[in-house]
Amino acid sequence: MKEKVLTEHFGLENLYKIDVYQKQGGYRATEKALKKMKPEEILEEVKKANLRGRGGAGFPAGVKWSFVPDTDKPKYLCVNADEGEPGTFKDRYIMSHNPHMLIEGIIITSFCVGISVAFIYIRGEYEAIALRLEQAISEAYEKGFLGKNILESGFDLDVFVHRGAGAYICGEETALLESLEGKRGNPRLKPPFPASVGLFQCPTVINNVETISNISHIILNGAEWFIKQGLPKDGGTRIFGVSGMVKNPGIYELPLGTSLKDIIFKHAGGMKEGKKLKAVIPGGMSAPILTADEINIKMDFDSLVEANSMLGSAGIIVIDDKTSILDVLKVVTKFYSHESCGQCTPCRIGNSWINKIVKRIAEGKGKKEDIDSILRLASNIEGNTLCPLGDAAAMPILSITKKFRKELESHL
Amino acid sequence: MQEKTNEMIKIFIDKEPVDAEEGTTVLKAAERAGIHIPHLCYHPAFPPEGSCRMCLVEIEGFPKLELACSTVVKEEMKISTKSERVVEARKAVLEFLLAEHPLDCPICDKAGDCKLQDYYDEYGLFESQFKEAKEKREKKLKIGKSLILDQERCILCTRCVRFLKEVTKTQDLGVFHRGVHSSVNIYEGASVENNYSGNLAEICPVGAITDEDFRFKTRSWFLKEGESICPLCSRGCNILIEYHPGFSRFELPKRVYRIKARENPEVNGFWICDRGRYGYSYLDERRADQIIMNKKEGENELTCENISRHLGEKIKNLSSARKTSGIALILHTWLSNEELFLLHEIFKNDLKVEKIFFADLPDGEADGFLLTSEPSPNRRGAQEIGFDIKTVDLGALADGTDFLLAFGPFLSGLFSSKDLRGALDKIKTKVLFSSNSNELNSLFDVVIPVALIAEKEGSLTNVEGIVQGFQPVLEPPGESLPEWKVLSDLGKELGMDSKFYSEFTSPEAILSEMGKKIPFFKKKND
Repeated sequence: MKEKVLTEHFGLENLYKIDVYQKQGGYRATEKALKKMKPEEILEEVKKANLRGRGGAGFPAGVKWSFVPDTDKPKYLCVNADEGEPGTFKDRYIMSHNPHMLIEGIIITSFCVGISVAFIYIRGEYEAIALRLEQAISEAYEKGFLGKNILESGFDLDVFVHRGAGAYICGEETALLESLEGKRGNPRLKPPFPASVGLFQCPTVINNVETISNISHIILNGAEWFIKQGLPKDGGTRIFGVSGMVKNPGIYELPLGTSLKDIIFKHAGGMKEGKKLKAVIPGGMSAPILTADEINIKMDFDSLVEANSMLGSAGIIVIDDKTSILDVLKVVTKFYSHESCGQCTPCRIGNSWINKIVKRIAEGKGKKEDIDSILRLASNIEGNTLCPLGDAAAMPILSITKKFRKELESHL
Repeated sequence: MQEKTNEMIKIFIDKEPVDAEEGTTVLKAAERAGIHIPHLCYHPAFPPEGSCRMCLVEIEGFPKLELACSTVVKEEMKISTKSERVVEARKAVLEFLLAEHPLDCPICDKAGDCKLQDYYDEYGLFESQFKEAKEKREKKLKIGKSLILDQERCILCTRCVRFLKEVTKTQDLGVFHRGVHSSVNIYEGASVENNYSGNLAEICPVGAITDEDFRFKTRSWFLKEGESICPLCSRGCNILIEYHPGFSRFELPKRVYRIKARENPEVNGFWICDRGRYGYSYLDERRADQIIMNKKEGENELTCENISRHLGEKIKNLSSARKTSGIALILHTWLSNEELFLLHEIFKNDLKVEKIFFADLPDGEADGFLLTSEPSPNRRGAQEIGFDIKTVDLGALADGTDFLLAFGPFLSGLFSSKDLRGALDKIKTKVLFSSNSNELNSLFDVVIPVALIAEKEGSLTNVEGIVQGFQPVLEPPGESLPEWKVLSDLGKELGMDSKFYSEFTSPEAILSEMGKKIPFFKKKND
């Protein structure tokens, strides 16, 4: 069992150039898919691989593709490269080190679903990466991997890079579509789901960068191999982004199911000198916090759900004992209050209200009833909002407040 | 026309079986069964928005609460609209909304018919736990010719934004900024200037958009409302007239304070135009309320009671001297179907009067939506009854005319006073029926005050041929009375067949007789 799939060649000089990429076997998957496979076979393979969405929700990619109806309308692929979840920095590595791996995934996915226009919606701050992607795309056009009649298969595909304008909410798939259409990035009411009514009212597949980047490997090596890289219900590896008070912060590609303790203490080198572990946010800031006692846990979708948290974007934020949990809560509540689109009532006002309370506590003006108020308000947001941002805010707020109630009360 | 109806399915709302149309939403199905599910952003004219989160309901088999406004019903669906979980969620939404609401109800125009107030009364009545500073926003932003936006009261339901996007397509308003700083605002350089702007104040569920025409003039709880038809063009939009019944201790300057749209999918949908909304001053201003006699008419004092006998005698004298050619009529198309029918029967059919003219306001321009070019409500009715709509020609009018019976105040708008006086001076006897006083009052021998559409009963035929009935909302002022009453009495005095006219004790009776004589007015389901 080899450990690295996506990051295998990272560090190789000029990997982002198509010639170097091809020397490592790049675009062989594309050739195989377009010349030797039928779209149905690709779909079957991806379904069998149990490739779950790497954006955060963990929805099986193959199942998502199969929801696209058979219509005469154009269909679109949108690659979600908005990577806005605090603590998450894996997609930027993929796109800057190995953009062609993503492009290959886009080609195969589009061929499979019957898509001839694909968009990469990239976080606005990733300007240099967007330029690198543009460059890689034009190389792919030159070599005939994009454009008309790709590899003489009769399949056409155009890929466009679209830069976002800095809103976290545009990482939510329907807000992303609105933004891509040139509108204010507000999430849409679901149903209808994007697979049937998406970009410009047409069927649309939306997948995360890391998800799509896995496709070429599944095609080349098969679903069985892919499952072996991870878990039966959760195929492949995961790129864990470790940040915070560890010796070696960075990205670590590891099999799904690797223990959180090992990631922190083995792979990331343990805590920085003189620091003790206090808590971990295991899957991007929206994931409920784990205390130092709770890190003996396998990092896969189902194990984390069992532990009342979530794998999310696999961005691991390590918090040490010198960090005040009130400061953590302040950062969390400020972020969601700032990033709420403002469309629906509980998220718009609830997050701002909670943030106002936390700021007041930090100013030394906390009241006895404040902790209960935070819990009550966050519960009233959870499950009652138009899009997942409400839950994404309520989950960390509730878990931090419940698990560190004593420490928070010491500030009152 | 056979209306296509969807299949009905059975659902359960609060444990009660309810029949629901397939494909409809939970909210609509509940509404149809008489169950109100609170909502703020949902408006039946637009697709569901799902942002206020007030209409959340519990549906068996769904882990989360679901939106009633957008969830489509399914066979055997079990919906709870009043469960503890639902009520708690509603309370929570109200608590959030009120946390950032200025709570300035005592000075808010919307107080009394504000949905936020109503829902708080129903579900809330809790003490505010909000101890933080509220966001400061613009309180008095002029966004259109008579609209004021208070961003602090706004709950961001975006009904106004969607109205301007989907109905007028002018897109003058948008949501600016993000999160708790989100606010509705006018785009730079824009102003809500279209002919439907007044609908914004009406669809705003709270006091965020108020109308300068109504603002601070009265309180909504003093007002009563009645259903009527807008007479200001031939669309026949269905309206509500809101009037003040008055105080016993002091007099008010007017009765009518506001006109609102009344839903009618066949005529005006949910909307009315600004012409119809704001052009209501004629209901109270310069009203003719007493009979005016400029020329002594024999020994008897004329009253509204004896006017038809008096007119009957005059006309009988002319007709027995075979002088009906000396009779001329000026009509207008604010008269109801019933009144125009009586006029047609008496003067055209019985007396064979030929000089029948019409005096209406001059045609305007249609706006491509509701407002038509015809500035009166019943031209189509007059045509269907058999009138040829000829505008007054002063020369032809005066030529050989001894007796003129004129209706309406509109003649003065069509000619200069000099020309009018010149023509009318040639006519010996002139009687005017008018609702509003103007310079015509001095040009006629007798002026009889009459009721307006809002003050009487009858029906009108709109531009598309839809016959719509109306009932009195207001009392006719002073001595004024509806024309149909005078005309049916006059018919009895004069009619070749007085039995025919004696049946006409109500506009309803007249309309039913019309249906027998004119197929157009036959009731569709008869």
